[in-house]
Amino acid sequence: MTAQTATRPSPAAAGTRRLTYLQAISEGLRDEMRADERVFVMGEDIGVFGGAFKVTDGFLEEFGPERVIDTPLAESAIIGTAVGAAVVGMRPVCEMQFADFISCGFDQLVNVAGKMHYRQGLAVPITVRLPSGGGFSGGPFHSQNPEAWFMHAPGLKVVAPSTPADAKGLLIAAIRDPNPVVFLEHKHLYRRIKGEVPAGPYATELTARVARPGRDLVVIAYGAMVHVALEATAPEALDGAQVEVLDLRTLVPLDEAAILDAVRRCSKVVIVDEANATCAAGAQVAALIAQRGFEHLDGPVVRVATPDVPIPFSPPLEQAVLPSVERVREACRELLAY
Amino acid sequence: MSSSPTETTTVDIVMPQMGVSVAEGIVVAWKVAVGDPVAADETVCEISSDKIDAEVPAPASGVLAEIVVEAGETVDVGAVLGRISTAGGAAPGGAPADGGDGGAPADGATAPAPREGGDLRRTYSPVVQRIAREHGIDLAEVRGTGRDGRVRKQDVLAYLERQRAGAPAADGPAAAPAEPPLHIESPYIPEPAPAARPAEAAAPGGVLSAMRRQIGAHMKRSLETAATCTTWMEVDMGRVEAWRRTARVGGRTGMTALPIVARCVIDALAEHPALNATLEGDRYAVHEDVNLGIAVSLGDDGLIVPVIHRAQELSAEGLAVRIRELAARARARELTPDDVRGGTFTITNPGQWGAIMATPVINQPQVAILDLEAIVKRPVVVEGPDGTDAIAIRPQTILGLSWDHRALDGALAAQFLAAIRRRLEQWDG
Repeated sequence: MTAQTATRPSPAAAGTRRLTYLQAISEGLRDEMRADERVFVMGEDIGVFGGAFKVTDGFLEEFGPERVIDTPLAESAIIGTAVGAAVVGMRPVCEMQFADFISCGFDQLVNVAGKMHYRQGLAVPITVRLPSGGGFSGGPFHSQNPEAWFMHAPGLKVVAPSTPADAKGLLIAAIRDPNPVVFLEHKHLYRRIKGEVPAGPYATELTARVARPGRDLVVIAYGAMVHVALEATAPEALDGAQVEVLDLRTLVPLDEAAILDAVRRCSKVVIVDEANATCAAGAQVAALIAQRGFEHLDGPVVRVATPDVPIPFSPPLEQAVLPSVERVREACRELLAY
Repeated sequence: MSSSPTETTTVDIVMPQMGVSVAEGIVVAWKVAVGDPVAADETVCEISSDKIDAEVPAPASGVLAEIVVEAGETVDVGAVLGRISTAGGAAPGGAPADGGDGGAPADGATAPAPREGGDLRRTYSPVVQRIAREHGIDLAEVRGTGRDGRVRKQDVLAYLERQRAGAPAADGPAAAPAEPPLHIESPYIPEPAPAARPAEAAAPGGVLSAMRRQIGAHMKRSLETAATCTTWMEVDMGRVEAWRRTARVGGRTGMTALPIVARCVIDALAEHPALNATLEGDRYAVHEDVNLGIAVSLGDDGLIVPVIHRAQELSAEGLAVRIRELAARARARELTPDDVRGGTFTITNPGQWGAIMATPVINQPQVAILDLEAIVKRPVVVEGPDGTDAIAIRPQTILGLSWDHRALDGALAAQFLAAIRRRLEQWDG
């Protein structure tokens, strides 16, 4: 389970197309619904309207109202219904219109879905899609990165793809997983990021991925921050330093072997979270390195994250709090010189 | 102990106890000459016992007054090796004695630089300290290119590179280092040659090192003592090869075949305990615990066989971890004499170079040794489920067992090898 190198989509039916991150998610969902009739989708405005971001555009026409269900504005009801359906053998996929609204469904997800296996021995194979993240002036209610809440809740898996190929493969892996999976899809990547995506259904293993190999320092990131890290650490921007970028892809399970392997090779680490800094996923990564990578460190473990404030509406203020290419690059430059 | 009528007292340097079962040791070299100043805990001489090297620290600060045991001599534990005289004023050798007022030594007046204190340039990160320890580097000699002159990983690696290249390791600009020569897993995986200890060995010609002499004596004695025969058996390693690549060991994926072979050997020894034995004179003893010796190459310096005690309690993964750890400690010269004692069976594994057969020499007083060489893909005839023969490409190896004909006969050796083979070919973890 060490990190796979470079951008390797899982082998699938021949032929890849260039799709946006959004199209890849949509295609993954559609392919899996075609392949497995137990899969159905639920959410607010996902049927007739095709979803707030149009992920399920055309689904109602293809799969009908029994498998594409428009729900009331009630996240607790959406997830609770999905849990019940999953227990009797279905594979529900719930869309939260924005990740921020998951707090209304928190109890059903954390207390019911996450603990069902431990309490009753029942599998709850649900997938909850969370359009998350900021960067487009969405303000405090439409920009959050709530992944750490769910990392802290035993029984849930948490995945966060950064590329179109991974978004499709990890979504299908999430749907096929027997556990409840929280799927964080970054809104700011939806239409900005394009990549080669294999045709047909395929599941991507829940492991980290080396987005760019290097040797002098490793930046550990996930989701949109992978792209920030890649841009920040281009060799020409850092006097030719060879900086590795490790894309975690999955936060639970966390690919500890890949993280420690990168630390062993590079000895200097910058961890980037778009989430608020305190107790974020990166804090867990830092703790792991402190405990099990200590002997390989050649400098302090450095974190770059959003300060502990809500995301501002104001575009300049938002840009000031989110980890930027410049901030990540400066952190790398400082640590490389240490 | 001894004292003199002047205000100077002397402190004895004694041969330390290096392991519970060690009775004697040899002085390899003195690091300090008579009359030289020494600081407490500074190394005064190097000693060796059963191929394990150690350093003797000065028991007190002062001046080396006398060398009692010269380099090359072997003495019992507790014997006095030399004496340090501690002057009342504790003035270091070269310092002008009159300046001091008999109280605390005047810091900074003389050569010995304060090693600890506020100098951040001499605060080393974990990885730098570990590389230095593994390669015996004095970090004071490494120039730092980091912030405020801090020694970084690349500095110590560059220093190591220059040392290897034979340059006097003087500090130029830190070149970009190659892949860091850190963890190795077992003797089976090639690694960059460990940095030869600067003083010893290496040079062609000259007198054999202490370790080579000991290896030679041991091997010669074995061949003279035992009635050594060697039996070979071919093994299909297909299942082992498939399994080992996905095994998870110590947070990493993949392991060598050695720990799996070791685990199968342990099980085969339970089936044939007569091979888990020692023979001294005509005293033949079968042992309950499998104390498994694993031969570890020390590069040019020689070979050592650390022992995994009670190996029967470990899984293949557990054995992999122990082998890796022992190999690393062996190469870092950190084994204690107890780590190499009490073996009941030994495995040697020089297969990384592609050799396919060997006749290993039995590690006395054990009665057998197993040799694992390269695993090579070969066309072999296999029988299908319907009884038809076909040629298939299979990873094959040849296990060689050297055994002592005084203790056992060839039939048992073959049965034992067959027991190992059966387990390897049916291996499923």
